[in-house]
Amino acid sequence: MTGTTGQTTTTGHADGLAIALRGLHKSYGSHVALAGLDLSVPSGVVYGFLGPNGAGKTTTMRLLTGLIHPDAGSIELLGRPFERGDRRRLFDVGALIETPSFYPYLSGRENLRVLAATGAPVRPARIAELLELVGLTDRAGDALSTYSLGMKQRLGIASALLSDPTLLLLDEPGNGLDPAGIVALRDTLKQLAASGKTVFVSSHILGEVRELADVVGIIAAGRVVREGPMEALLQEGGAVRVRVAKAEVAQARILLAGLAGAEGPSAPRATASSATPSSEADGPAWLSVQLPHERAAEVNRALSEAGIYASGLETESTLEAIFLELTGGQATSGREGTFQGVSAARSGGSVEPGGPTIEGPG
Amino acid sequence: MRLFIAGLRKLIRRPATWITFGVLAALMSLIYVAIGATADRVANDPQRVAALAALTFPRAYDSVLSFLLGLGGLFALIFGAAIAGSEWTWGTLKNAIARGESRTRYVVASFGSVGALLGLGLVLAFLVGVVAALIGATLAGVSTAGVGDAATIGTLPEKLLRGWVGFLEQGALGFTIATLARSQLAGIGAGIGLYFAEQFSTIFFPDVVKYLPFHVASAMVALPEGGGFGGGGGAAIARLEPNMAALAVVAWLIGAVVVSALFTERAEIAG
Repeated sequence: MTGTTGQTTTTGHADGLAIALRGLHKSYGSHVALAGLDLSVPSGVVYGFLGPNGAGKTTTMRLLTGLIHPDAGSIELLGRPFERGDRRRLFDVGALIETPSFYPYLSGRENLRVLAATGAPVRPARIAELLELVGLTDRAGDALSTYSLGMKQRLGIASALLSDPTLLLLDEPGNGLDPAGIVALRDTLKQLAASGKTVFVSSHILGEVRELADVVGIIAAGRVVREGPMEALLQEGGAVRVRVAKAEVAQARILLAGLAGAEGPSAPRATASSATPSSEADGPAWLSVQLPHERAAEVNRALSEAGIYASGLETESTLEAIFLELTGGQATSGREGTFQGVSAARSGGSVEPGGPTIEGPG
Repeated sequence: MRLFIAGLRKLIRRPATWITFGVLAALMSLIYVAIGATADRVANDPQRVAALAALTFPRAYDSVLSFLLGLGGLFALIFGAAIAGSEWTWGTLKNAIARGESRTRYVVASFGSVGALLGLGLVLAFLVGVVAALIGATLAGVSTAGVGDAATIGTLPEKLLRGWVGFLEQGALGFTIATLARSQLAGIGAGIGLYFAEQFSTIFFPDVVKYLPFHVASAMVALPEGGGFGGGGGAAIARLEPNMAALAVVAWLIGAVVVSALFTERAEIAG
């Protein structure tokens, strides 16, 4: 991707929401995909829609594009109710859902041309602009069957932008993109949001969402379990890391556990874990405690008062930790290739819900 | 109109279009050339007479048309199924709907472009068949003097038009079966199964078969009995009168397109 669309569209909805989902239910047979989903996506932001595999992200995307219909609940798109038959509302929406879908025997350019014949009218020059934007101009005349996964993904993003939409829905847009493509995609989406458009990105790649999103919604088992500005979320889920001598690790662990436990019942659950790099097996070790960043000085003071002098102190924000905590580290029912129990395996020990956990090195 | 034109653009570039046409044209050419080349080796007089009749103009025009309406109908069905099924298999229908396109309009326009290509294919295949019959006639030593018979040539536009409507009906059946199956391969397979099931059902339900889609399509074009190939029917089956058959064909055609549109309109597209 080499630039921006260069077009500006502003959105102004009465409630300031580009998407408002209320009590959305959807089942496939006996499987409940969405169980009362509530979601509020402000206009003009990049919204990161996070969730484990099978949590209901793609079902939500399909509902937002009229591919399927809810069993119960309401959908508002761009400030107005979106119901069966309101297909023209989608003229202002661009979407890339699941894998990019095209005619394999047509070229990239031809695929965009035939797609442009559907839905909202598209300026003829728009196709060339978008091919330039996604860096496919040189390969635009080649058959799609010769494209790599990343190139198909780029074309998919171009197709979502065909009608210069006010609202852009992207399902796992980084799939198959190389690092340069991911950076360019991120820049493009941020610029689109800066120009007043709303970008709704579904993903389970936390790093991608952290770099991109202004607002985050985390879905688990068909419900949104957390929604809010990224900064606030990270602040709440911040961690403090300290580097102490190996001989002092045990004492430091007790001390940090005390600090984490002192957070009180209304504060975010505090846990601490640590890891010792193998190259430093006999040297200093890092201990990590999940506390708000503003308590870093308190940690330092407590350690020094106990005669432990940290050789390093850092604050960190782990979206991963927040995500795992909120989603329980698992999908709804182990569907779509979810690895159950990944949370415990990653932390190197057991996760005990409901109380602080301290794990020391070695 | 832009959907229809986009549909034509897709189909003209699609290998399946030309493969379907090419196989039909090649098969027909091979048969006519083979008949011409081997006619003098047929010992049985009635068979030889029938073979030479198929190559003798102006009757050969009806022979070619009869071949096309028989086996060609199966190809039309396969083509319709391939086009409709791939929209589901490749996920391209999903793209169009997510852009706010009307599901019914998309289905009707897609079928419209299939129908236009079927018409073009019928005319081209007919011309190929006539050339093949001329070559066969030359090989068999049969006179081709009747090729310019004005009276017969004058009837060809109406026959071709009726043949095209028959193709449309058979293409629509394939289109609908693949839509219901949401699959290209399943649609083609089920369509071929239906074709042969109808042929076999002549044994068990001779009175019903004359109303079934492949039989009415061939009965719609008034062709002399025993003048060609295929064409459903068969000597034991009473055929509908051409205009009655035309009504039945139109009913099957409209019914198939309506079912296809209704199914797509109501479908949950989750794949």
